[in-house]
Amino acid sequence: MSSDSSKKRKPKVIRTDGAPQESKRSRADPDQDVKYYSEEAEVELRDPSKDYELYKQTCQELQRLMAEIQDLKSKGSKDSAVAIEERRIQSCMHFMTLKKLNRLAHIRLKKGRDQTHEAKQKVDAYHLQLQNLLYEVMHLQKEITKCLEFKSKHEEIDLVSVDEFYKEAPPEISKPDVTLNEPHQQTLARLDWELEQRKRLAEKYKECLANKEKILKEIEVKKEYLSSLQPRLNSIMQASLPVQEYLFMPFDQAHKQYETARHLPPPLYVLFVQANAYGQACDKKLAVAIEGSVEEAKALYKPPEDSQDDESDSDAEEEQTTKRRRPTLGVQLDDKRKEMLKRHPLSVTIDLKCKDDSVLHLIFYYLMNLNVMTVKTKVTTATEMATPISAGDLLSPGSLLNCLYPGDHGKRTPNPANQFQFDKVGILTLSDYVTDLGHPYVWVQKLGGLHFPKDQPQHTVTADNSLSASHMEMTMKLLRMRLQSRLALHKQFASLEHGIVPVSSECQHLFPSKVVSRLVKWAALPYEDYLELSYTKDVVEAGLAEDTHLYYTALVERGTAKLQAAVVLNPGYSSMPPIFNLCLNWKGEKTNSNDDNIRAMESEVNVCYKELCGPKPGYQLLTNQLQRLCVVLDVYLETESHDTSVEGPKEFPQEKMCLRLVRGPNRMKPFKYNHPQGFFSHR
Amino acid sequence: MVPREMDAQRALELLHMTVFSQSVSPCGKYLAAGNNYGEIAIFSLSAALSSEAKEESKKPVVSFTAHDGPVYAMVSTERQLLSSGNGELRAWNWSDIVKKGCKEAWSRRPPYRSSLEVPEINSLQLNPKDNSILLAGGDCAVHAMDLESGTFTHEFRGHSDYVHCLALRDQSQECLSGSEDGTVRMWDLRTGAQVHLIEVHKYEECSRPQHGKWIRCLATDCDWMVCGGGPALTLWHLRSVTPTTVFPLPHCQQHVMFYQDLILSAGHSPAINHLQISGEVRAQIPCTPRSVHSLCVNEHSPEHKVLTAAGSSHKVDVFTNFSYRAFSLCFA
Repeated sequence: MSSDSSKKRKPKVIRTDGAPQESKRSRADPDQDVKYYSEEAEVELRDPSKDYELYKQTCQELQRLMAEIQDLKSKGSKDSAVAIEERRIQSCMHFMTLKKLNRLAHIRLKKGRDQTHEAKQKVDAYHLQLQNLLYEVMHLQKEITKCLEFKSKHEEIDLVSVDEFYKEAPPEISKPDVTLNEPHQQTLARLDWELEQRKRLAEKYKECLANKEKILKEIEVKKEYLSSLQPRLNSIMQASLPVQEYLFMPFDQAHKQYETARHLPPPLYVLFVQANAYGQACDKKLAVAIEGSVEEAKALYKPPEDSQDDESDSDAEEEQTTKRRRPTLGVQLDDKRKEMLKRHPLSVTIDLKCKDDSVLHLIFYYLMNLNVMTVKTKVTTATEMATPISAGDLLSPGSLLNCLYPGDHGKRTPNPANQFQFDKVGILTLSDYVTDLGHPYVWVQKLGGLHFPKDQPQHTVTADNSLSASHMEMTMKLLRMRLQSRLALHKQFASLEHGIVPVSSECQHLFPSKVVSRLVKWAALPYEDYLELSYTKDVVEAGLAEDTHLYYTALVERGTAKLQAAVVLNPGYSSMPPIFNLCLNWKGEKTNSNDDNIRAMESEVNVCYKELCGPKPGYQLLTNQLQRLCVVLDVYLETESHDTSVEGPKEFPQEKMCLRLVRGPNRMKPFKYNHPQGFFSHR
Repeated sequence: MVPREMDAQRALELLHMTVFSQSVSPCGKYLAAGNNYGEIAIFSLSAALSSEAKEESKKPVVSFTAHDGPVYAMVSTERQLLSSGNGELRAWNWSDIVKKGCKEAWSRRPPYRSSLEVPEINSLQLNPKDNSILLAGGDCAVHAMDLESGTFTHEFRGHSDYVHCLALRDQSQECLSGSEDGTVRMWDLRTGAQVHLIEVHKYEECSRPQHGKWIRCLATDCDWMVCGGGPALTLWHLRSVTPTTVFPLPHCQQHVMFYQDLILSAGHSPAINHLQISGEVRAQIPCTPRSVHSLCVNEHSPEHKVLTAAGSSHKVDVFTNFSYRAFSLCFA
C-alpha cells in the first residue's frame, strides 16, 4: 500500500517540474500582481502530472550535479573549485524547486482531505433525514392502527333493537330523517334513548322503595296491635275454661295436644297429623296421643345454648374424668352408641280398637340421630285368654307386625345412610337393639313420611305429608287385619292343642260328615328344626320359608298310619296361606318325593286353599286346611290298592264313595269332595 | 287380588306343578309342555340352546290355558299341536302359537258311554299311514279318529280298566295298548279286532304285587315290545309273546322309548335309565323331577337334537348330550 501510494504521489510532484514551470509562473505572475500571491491558488492552476515530471528531472539533475562535483573533488584540481561553486549554486536552485514541489503536494493533500470530509458530511445529513422520515412513517402507522382499534364504551351496553327503538322512542330522540341513513347518528340516538329510559327506571325504583318503606311501617303498626291483642285473648280463654268443662267440649284439650305436637320432630308430627286426620275422617276407633316430656323436647330446640352448655359440661366432665381415670375405649364407644341411638323424648301412640274390644297399642318413636322411626306394640284383649303353648309367638311384640308388607322384617334400618354411622361406632346391625328401641319397619317410615331411596345412601330425607297420607289407610287396615287374624289363630291354637279341629258351621259343607283321621298333636317348631326336615326341602328352596315365618308341626293319626305335617305360617296369614309339607308313616315313609299322591295331598291343602277360606276374611283357613288334611288322609288310606300277596283283611276298608279309585297317568286318588252328593272325585 | 297374593298363589302352584306331556314343533325349534293346571307352555329350544342364552330364554315364550284339567298327552302333526285332557282332544295351529296367538283350532270329544264322569284321555298316538289319531283313556277304550274329517272311525273295547298308554306297530297296522287292568292288548287297526292279549302281571318274572299290576308305559319296535309300570320293565318278543329280558329297576317306570340301540326309561325316581337290550343298566342319569312322566327326543331338527324330561316339577330338564343334564326349562 505504502509503496503504491508513494508511486501515485511521486508522479504528481514530478509532473509539476520541467517546462511548464515557466509558463505557470508567468501565468501566476499577473495574478500576483493584481491581488496577492497565493500558493493555494497556484495549486489549482498547475497540473499535478507535470509537477511529477519536473520532480523527476530535478532529481536527475541533482544526481548528475552531485556526481560531477564528486568527480571534480576527486580530481582535486585548482580550477575545479570554481566549477564546484557553480555547480553548488545550480544544485541549490534544484533544491529550491524540490522544496516548492513539496509544499504544493502538501497543499493538495489537505485540499483532498477537505473535499472528502465535505462529501461525507453531506451523506450523513441525508442519512439522518431518511431516518427521521422512516420514524415518522412508523409513528403514523401506529396512530392509524390505534385509531382502527378504538372501541367505544357504548358497545357494551345492551341496546334495544333498531326496530323497537324506532317504534318506541319519541321522534325528538330518534330523529328518523337524520338517523335512518347514518349509522353513527343512529347509534347516538339510540344511546340517548337508553339513557332516557334508564333515568325513568331509576325514578320508578325510588318510588318503589318509598312504597315499601310505607308498607313496612303499616305492618309494624298492625303487629303492635296484634301483640296487644294476645293477653286479652288469653284472659278470655281463661275465663271460658269452666264453661268448656261444663259443656264437655274438649276444644282446649285438643288445642293443648296440638300445642304439644309443635314440639314433635317432623316425622312424628306428620304421623300425628295424618293419623289424627284419618281417625277423624274414616276410623272412629283410632285414638292418637302424644306422650313424653315436652320440656325435654323444648330443650332440644334451643341448639346454640345447648351446644355451649354441652361443650362446657363435657369439658368439665372431661376434667373430672381425667382426675379420676380416663374412660376406657369401650366405655367411650358405648356412650357414642347410646348417643346415636337416642330417641326423641316425645312419642306418638296410636290405639287401634277392634270390634271385639281388643286393642292394638302402637308406640312410635323417632331416633334423632339415625333419622328413622321405630314402633313398639302391645296387645290388650277384651277377655282373659288362656295362652296355648304353641301360641307363644303369635302376639309377642317382636313378631306381631313382622312382614306387614312383604319382606318388611323390621330388623335392619331402612335408612341406608345409617350403615355408615354404625360403622363409626361399631354397631354391626340394628337388630341387636331392636327389642329396646322398637322395630324400624318400612311402613313406619312411610307413615312418618320418610322415604329412603334404595341406591342413594347419602340422600337427605325430609318428612313428606303426602307419602304418609297415601299409606295411612292401607296400613291401618293391615294392622287391624293382622291383629284380628292373630287373635283368631290364638283361639284356634288353644283347641288344636287339645286335638280338636274347630270347624265352623259355615264350613261344614267342605267336609264329609264322617272323618276318621284325628289330629293328635299341634306344636310350635323351631325354624332350624324345620330346615332339617327332609321333606321340606322344596319349600325352603322355593324361598317360601323364611326365618320371620312361624313354624308348627301337626300329627294326624288313623290306626297305624301317622301323618306328620310341617306347617309354615306366613306372617301375612290369612291373605298368605300356610304351607303344609307331609310325611306319611305307613308301610314305609312316604313323602312328596317318592309318592305322587302325597304330593297331590299337599297340593290339595296348599294350592286349593281358596275354597277353604271360609267366611271372609278367611281366619278359619288354617283349621279348614287341617280338617281337609284329615279327610284326604282318609281317602288315601281307604283307596290304597290291596296288596294281593299279603294275607288278611284290609286295615282300612273303603267307606268313602268314589267314582274311580285311580285316574290319569299319575294314578291319582280321588281327593276332591263333592258336597251335596257326598262322593269323592278327581280334581 | 293383591299382586303379592297372586305371587304367593303362583309360587305354590309352581311348587306343586306336574308336567305330564311334551311335544316338539314340526320345525324342531319349539317344545310344548303341558302341566296339571291345564296350561301349555311353549319353550324356544333354539333360544335356550343358543350360545347367548340367558335365564329369560329358559322361560316359556308363551303359555296359555288349554284345558280345564291336566294336559295328559300331546302330539304334533305337520301343522298342529294336539292336546288332550279331561274328555276332549283339542288342536292348536303351530303357526299361531309361534306368533303367540293361541286360539283353539278345533276340539273333538270321543263318544263316551257313561255321562257320570268325564273320562280323561291319557295317551295320543298318530297314525301317519291313514292320517288318523288314536286316543285312549278313562273310558277303557281306544278310539280312532280320522284327522281329515274329524269323525271317530273305530272303537277298540276290551280293557276292564282305564288305558294308560298306546304304541303303534308300523309295519303291520297294529296298535298296542297298556292298561290299569294289568294287560297289554294288540288291536288290528283295519278290522278293529283284538289280536293278542298279554296279561303281564301273570308272568312271574316281571310281576310285582306290592306295586300293583297296572301297565303305565309301553313302546314297540316291530317285533319287540317293552312295557312297565307296576310290573317290572320287561322286554317282550311279540311273535312268541314271551318276556325275554326283565330290567333290574326297583322303581315303577312311567315312560319308556326305543332310542337307537338303547332303551330309555324313567319313572318314580329322579333319574333317566339307559338300558341295553341284554338287560344291562348302562347308565342312570340324575334329573330334577322326583317322578318323571314324559321323555321326548327332538328328532325334527339336527342342531336342536336334545332329550327333554318332564315330571313332578315345574322344571323340564334338557339333555344336550344324553349323558348329563345341561339345564332346565322353567315354567313361570
